[in-house]
Amino acid sequence: MVKGARKILVLGCRGCVAVCSAGGDKEVKILSAALKLGVKRSGGEIEIDEDTLVRQCDPEYIEPLNERAKDYDLVMSMACGVGVNFVADRCPDVNVVPALNTTFYGANLSSGEWKELCAGCGACVLHLTGGLCPVARCAKSLSNGPCGGSQGGRCEINPDVPCIWQLIYDRLSKQDRKEELKNIMPIRDWTTAGHGGPRRRVREDLLP
Amino acid sequence: MSKIKGFCCNYTMSVDVDALKEGGLVPEGLEIDRLACTGRLEVPEILDAFTNGADAVFVVGCQMDKCHNLSGSYRASKRVRYAKKILKELDMDPELLEMFFADRGHSEPIVEAARLMASKTQGNSQDRDQ
Repeated sequence: MVKGARKILVLGCRGCVAVCSAGGDKEVKILSAALKLGVKRSGGEIEIDEDTLVRQCDPEYIEPLNERAKDYDLVMSMACGVGVNFVADRCPDVNVVPALNTTFYGANLSSGEWKELCAGCGACVLHLTGGLCPVARCAKSLSNGPCGGSQGGRCEINPDVPCIWQLIYDRLSKQDRKEELKNIMPIRDWTTAGHGGPRRRVREDLLP
Repeated sequence: MSKIKGFCCNYTMSVDVDALKEGGLVPEGLEIDRLACTGRLEVPEILDAFTNGADAVFVVGCQMDKCHNLSGSYRASKRVRYAKKILKELDMDPELLEMFFADRGHSEPIVEAARLMASKTQGNSQDRDQ
C-alpha cells in the first residue's frame, strides 16, 4: 500500500477504534514507527506525519483533509472501514488506504479480547430472546431454535462457541419465560440487514 | 562494530555504562537508556532504536515478581513480545530484541545481556559497515 509513497499521513481516530486499542493515538505511533523501520530497511526514504482525529465518521473532522492532505501522497486511515469510506466520499483528491482490517463490532470481554454481539441487522429480536442475539451469535442466524449441530450446549462450528439457542433457552427457563419460545418468529426479512442494499437512516428531528 | 541499544530500569542499572566499557566488560557500541521503569517503555521506542541504527536491542527490568513498580517488568515484557511480532512482519530476526530480568543493583545480568546481543549481531553489523 505504501510502496512508492514519499510522504504519508497516518491518521488515527479517537472513537471506537481508540477504545479498542486498534487505531487511536498509541496505535498511530506504533504503525508509524514500524513503517519507518520497514522503509529504512528496504533502502527507501519516507516522511511520515501522525495525527488522530476526534472521529472519522463526522464531516467536520474529515473535510479539512481536502486542504491538508494535498501535501501527502497517501493517507493511511486507522479508523474502521467507515472512516476510510467517509474520507473517500468527502475528499475526492485524497489517496486514502485502510490501515485496519475491520473485523466486527463487539464487546470487550477482558483486556485484549473482543466478541461480536450485534450484527446491526435492523430488525431487532432481542426482546424475544432474553437479550441474546440469534442473528449475530448463531452461525446460521436461526430464528426459531437450534439446529442439529448444537451438541452439549456447543456449536458444531467450534467447541469454544456456545450454542446461542441453548443459552436463550437456559436464560428464559431461569426467568420462567420458557413458554414464550413457543411463539414462532415469522420468516425474517433480511432487507434491513444489508440484503436490500446499502442502508441509510434519516431522523427528521435532527435534520438541519 | 555492532550498535547495541539497551533499555534498563532505574533499579537494575546501578553502574555507569562508561565504567563498564572502560573495564572492557561490555561491547564498545553499547548505549544504555536508563528509564524510571521499563513499564514506561513503549513499542515505538523499541522500533525507533532499530531505525536509528541499533543492530540489536535489549530491555532489562526487575525480576517479574520483584518489580519495584509491581507490574512494570510485566508490561515491558508484553511490549517486547509485541515488538518482536512487528520485527518478524518486517522480515527481521525477532531474536535481535530480547527482554532480560535482573536483581536490583546487579550489573552482571546487564553485562551478560549486552554480550549476548552483541554475539547475535555478528555478521549483520559487518554488512552495514562495508
